[in-house]
Amino acid sequence: MILSFLESSILANSSLKVDFKTGNPGITSINSMTFGPEGILFIGDSKSAQIVAIDLSTHPKVDNSAVKIDFLDKLIADMLGTAIDQIQITDMAVNPENDNIYLSVHHSSGNVVLFRIENNTLKKVSLDNISHSKTSLIDPVDKEAKDKRGRKLRKWAVADIKYTSGKVLLSGLSNKEFASTFRSVDFPFTDKQDYGSLEIYHAAHGQYETHAPIKAFISTKIKGSSHIVAGYTCTPLVIFPMNDIKPGKHNKGRTIAELGSGNSPVDMVEIENGGQRYLLIANNNRPLMKMEFTDLESYNGSLTTPVIKKGAAEGVSYVNLPYVNVQQLDKFGGSGFLIVQRESSGNLTLKKGNSWWLEK
Amino acid sequence: MAREITAPVRFVLFVVIVFFTVLEIYSQTSPEFTFNKEYITVKKDVKTSGNFYVYRGEIPKDEFSSINPVLGKLIEEKTSIRFTPLIPFGWNQKYTVVYGDTIEYFVLDIPEEYEYLSVTSIYPSAKTLPSNLLKWYIQFSHPINETHIYDHIRFINAVGDTLPRAALSLENALISNHGKLLTVWVEPGRQKRDLIPNKQLGPVFKNENSYKLVVLKKLKDINGISMHDNFIHSFQITNADRIKPDINSWKIQAPKVNSKSRLLISCHEPLDYGSTQNSITVINTKGEKINGNWQFTDHESTMFFTPLHPWKKGNYNILLQPHIEDLAGNNLDRLFDSEITDTISSHILPKVHKIKFSIK
Repeated sequence: MILSFLESSILANSSLKVDFKTGNPGITSINSMTFGPEGILFIGDSKSAQIVAIDLSTHPKVDNSAVKIDFLDKLIADMLGTAIDQIQITDMAVNPENDNIYLSVHHSSGNVVLFRIENNTLKKVSLDNISHSKTSLIDPVDKEAKDKRGRKLRKWAVADIKYTSGKVLLSGLSNKEFASTFRSVDFPFTDKQDYGSLEIYHAAHGQYETHAPIKAFISTKIKGSSHIVAGYTCTPLVIFPMNDIKPGKHNKGRTIAELGSGNSPVDMVEIENGGQRYLLIANNNRPLMKMEFTDLESYNGSLTTPVIKKGAAEGVSYVNLPYVNVQQLDKFGGSGFLIVQRESSGNLTLKKGNSWWLEK
Repeated sequence: MAREITAPVRFVLFVVIVFFTVLEIYSQTSPEFTFNKEYITVKKDVKTSGNFYVYRGEIPKDEFSSINPVLGKLIEEKTSIRFTPLIPFGWNQKYTVVYGDTIEYFVLDIPEEYEYLSVTSIYPSAKTLPSNLLKWYIQFSHPINETHIYDHIRFINAVGDTLPRAALSLENALISNHGKLLTVWVEPGRQKRDLIPNKQLGPVFKNENSYKLVVLKKLKDINGISMHDNFIHSFQITNADRIKPDINSWKIQAPKVNSKSRLLISCHEPLDYGSTQNSITVINTKGEKINGNWQFTDHESTMFFTPLHPWKKGNYNILLQPHIEDLAGNNLDRLFDSEITDTISSHILPKVHKIKFSIK
């Protein structure tokens, strides 16, 4: 009784969790997730067109220093009693405050399961009675038409979600317009939702503007000010100053690198190690890439001329790390990284990356 | 002495046989053990005391310790134990049940009356399409399994080769309309002029060539059951469409007063199925919306509106959202591969287009 009183007073004291309620947030998909402060996990749920913030701070700190799970897809299939081709691991997120690792899984039946890793096994996290807060993803185009019939056709698939100083940022693609809508939602959630469109000059052309959607992004500081670093399909890397991203405005970013065509970024993280900042980019058709922030910050150019050499990379230099087919990537344990990788043997493994690669 | 079976007795026998056959079909039972998609029930006795586990597959006893059991809830009732899996048991999936010292194997056969997944319609439905075609919409009979769904869509050329990088492979599938409508983007980087993929690989479809869109039969529904056959849709490619839909050239056929006759709009070219849905409204001079249904005909090049109530004499406006597109992604305001020169977007807060008509 005393304990529960203490717990609720702690929750009430947290300004970020002041609106949190315990119950079922009605999560029907987890397309992308990311941790904010105080153990809050933000979930981009395209199917229910919502962002859900759930409080996972009560999960105890764990020692995942020896984390390694082989045949991860088989393990999940065994635990769900289903075939491997019926499941999809949609995202992985690590709580930086206690090293808990979470995996979201979609099953063909429409069920969504959130797992937490404990001693190299998976524990299901119940989502039907959890402290949470949520907000709808308002459709920017159909805003006026939201109460009219037949909105079910529109679908906005969340590609990536990140949290930065009181804002949840999302990128995604609609099934109607090929446009890189980018949303910024205040947290704690209010009715206010900003949506802008981040557009780029692709290094391949000077004349035509592209509406390519952002596949993965981070929010970070570049030369001391807040920026978005965004990875697009095929694979320009573009930066946008946060201050320039205004509602209803087209924001043309500065393309700082071309990471090779025929490729799409999967996940991006920023890791600091030994006073150096690194950008890691997992790709669907290239190895894991490492870019140093010092190179990124000192690059003042903007790629506006076509890349002539097929598949060539240009702009800020990067190093290919010896990790191919990395499907999930997140920061782990302060200065390390965690991956889900399909190894050449076919084994889908969850493991730590070697932090040796992130040393000077 | 042999006695003839009388008609009433025959009838009773028939009813008994039917009863047990139906019972057999719907509840596959052994003396102590009942199972269906939702749960397994085991009669409580001495043998059932102790462990109760369900495993995926037919697992020999000595392997139990190396495999994780299926997640679910175990409820002890007065005379039985009931196990409800987290995800319903799959059709044609083998399972092993272990209770006490007993091991049972079971499989749920696909019901004979099962309605297999099929493609019911496809948009655009026209047989001749512009080379810069941007989207396909595939309507299925039942909700589909969205895991890695784009792996099951192929475009095949006239000699039978699969086109590489023809469709945009999204991690989070664009599925709407209660899980039954799949949006497939034709690789926009190749369809849009001057982007790297377009320069290196050329557009996906070549003029004057014929192709097939194939939905492979291994695509499954949400129960994990595949289609019976491949779905094949043939089409021919013609010149690229680089002209915006021009509503001034659209022909309106006004309906008759005091009737529920149809309002017809001939657009002279097929429109994009997705962006046109729910994007057109009819209002009267008071600004009131006229309720009714919109439908496409003539390969999506003609729209007709059937009102719920008879038309009244007067002037009307057809309101068209500017994001309505033709098959090449050109909308009412701009071409798909035009450059946007201003920084303030004109189409994020777009102006609605109007067509007037009168009923006399």
